[in-house]
Amino acid sequence: MNAFLQQEAVIDATLPWLEDAQKLGEQPAADWVKALRHTGAEAFAHTGFPHPKQEGWQYTQLRQLTDGDFHYALEAPAFDVNALPQPLLENSARIVLVNGKYRPELSDAPEGVIVMSLMDASVQVEGIEEHLVTVGDLGKAPFKALNAAYTHDGVVVTVKAGAEVTQPFEVLFYNVGDTDKAPALYPRCLYWLGKNSSLTVIERHTGTGAYFTNIYAGIALEPSARLKCYKLEEESATACHFSYTTLQQQKDSSFEGFSYATGGKLSRQEYRNLLIDSGISSKLTGAYLLKDQQCHDFTVLTDHFEPDGKSVQHFKGVVDDQARSVFQGKIHVRRAAQKTDGNQLNHALLLSEKAEASFKPELEIYADDVKCAHGAASGQIDDEALFYLQSRGIPQAEARSLLIESFLNTVLAEVSFSPVREVYEERIRAWLRH
Amino acid sequence: MTMLKIENLHAEVGGREVLKGINLTVKAGEVHAVMGPNGSGKSTLSYVLAGRPGYEVTKGKVTFLGQDLLALAPEGRAAAGMFLAFQYPVEIPGVSTTMFLKTALNAVRKARGEKEFSPVDFLKLQKEKMAQLGMDAEMLKRGVNVGFSGGEKKRNEALQMAMLAPKLAILDETDSGLDIDALKVVAEGVNALRSKDRAFLVITHYQRLLKHIKPDIVHVLADGKIRKTGGPELALELEDKGYAEYTGDAALRAGDKSI
Repeated sequence: MNAFLQQEAVIDATLPWLEDAQKLGEQPAADWVKALRHTGAEAFAHTGFPHPKQEGWQYTQLRQLTDGDFHYALEAPAFDVNALPQPLLENSARIVLVNGKYRPELSDAPEGVIVMSLMDASVQVEGIEEHLVTVGDLGKAPFKALNAAYTHDGVVVTVKAGAEVTQPFEVLFYNVGDTDKAPALYPRCLYWLGKNSSLTVIERHTGTGAYFTNIYAGIALEPSARLKCYKLEEESATACHFSYTTLQQQKDSSFEGFSYATGGKLSRQEYRNLLIDSGISSKLTGAYLLKDQQCHDFTVLTDHFEPDGKSVQHFKGVVDDQARSVFQGKIHVRRAAQKTDGNQLNHALLLSEKAEASFKPELEIYADDVKCAHGAASGQIDDEALFYLQSRGIPQAEARSLLIESFLNTVLAEVSFSPVREVYEERIRAWLRH
Repeated sequence: MTMLKIENLHAEVGGREVLKGINLTVKAGEVHAVMGPNGSGKSTLSYVLAGRPGYEVTKGKVTFLGQDLLALAPEGRAAAGMFLAFQYPVEIPGVSTTMFLKTALNAVRKARGEKEFSPVDFLKLQKEKMAQLGMDAEMLKRGVNVGFSGGEKKRNEALQMAMLAPKLAILDETDSGLDIDALKVVAEGVNALRSKDRAFLVITHYQRLLKHIKPDIVHVLADGKIRKTGGPELALELEDKGYAEYTGDAALRAGDKSI
């Protein structure tokens, strides 16, 4: 087949995925939003979904998604408000997005936090464009491009310079699926923290039935801003979850992220953590617990531009049944980024013979005075430890659970906000009873 | 009352026969020492009794307090009142020692049909037993045996034993890795548990532990069989003469005849 025909074939396959974007054309929008949709659609039309031979996509098979029939809708379907899960913490304020659409009537932001729908923010917030029309080549990030083609839903969260928000802030993405006509969701979100401000976010993704959610999130931290962002990816068992986060950190800012992933049949969380100035701390850690035929992929790039940065990528996972986990982590240290301290660690515990864990750890270092370490390993439950616990009267199933919890405890210890750590611990215990 | 009865016990590890017909009866209130050279099957005996996977019984019978011990899972054996103090206690990072003790104690109590401890009662008991063993409360927060010295590990074994209050305690080379002070403390812990309702099987290569834990009966184990049984004086004899008498070919043949 010649190159032209090949391109035609790609376009034939991608067009159905872009058709619904025409519905957005009739909506009023800022010029940059229209331009972004256009660029995204064009890029996606040419690339289509990633090919399994494409760099970064060797381990995650997309057939479960690409064989599906998903459609974007301007309106979220009707649902029972009482079905929304309770907030995770009693004292938090919460905002709700239903199928990616911000619902102010169900939402309440903490003092010091301004929340707007993406479309409102696109015309009202000055300078927002630079954080939402992001760096990077859409041609190499098909999911990001597809999301861009549907720029409409989502939310913008801003914290003014100097504001220290003490109340925990929950952002709930509640997704209502449908077996016959499964929705495709394309929210685009931004957390923008002004100079020397601070915020603690709990970001939850959950829902019912079949759906495909493809999120793009920007996180912009101005100098000395501090963000703690705790994610729970607990999508419904038949959902596909894709998220692409660009974290941009300025001088002396700090980021502490933790992602807890147990949901969805096919998921990928991709992060580009850009440490564009000096003195930055950037920690992204997480835990995944997979069973049945779930597949989950964490792909993380940490990019050090300037000196004295400290970064951590530390993930641990438990993989049961025929589930598969993927971790691709890269720390990139540019020539100017002297005194970088980078650390990457990934461990998976395989609970069944058919479970699989794939790792791709990478360091790419151009500076000469740095401290970087990486490690990846998979293993099984330690038989000796299991026997030791049983010999003390602890039944085998309980002993196994205890060992799995202990395995995950070392990464949970990275969560400095203890109420959320306790939530994670409870959820892990509940998962282990499955 | 007969507590443990081992009859013609044969066991394999990795396809190799290690126990070749053990016969041993332990009554309540007694302390038995099993002594023997390296490779004689001492540790195998303790693991077989505790139910470690990979230690396969090919022949024979073990009765513990009237029950078929070999039919029980390791946790069932613990619930029935058996305790093995490990030669090499296992490190478990991420599980605190106190959490471990509480889980074990309550699991055993539940299996025995007893009420679980209230947190206050548990802490009281833990504190009391730790004080008896001269242990620092700080180690309760650490992962089980993680970063513990040899002495601390063995004290931790003694602590678990004191808290679980077993009917039969098997001490597998408890003296290995211990200096003399730690040895005394651990031995005192064991002696404090001696009672007419409880029995001990002390497995050791050297006689020095038996200076501190006085046995009633001493057995010599060599090449997978009990070669000789006697009183405490047998341990002293071994101290003088070593195991040469039991390890030569001639000795083994003679031993075969005597059984």
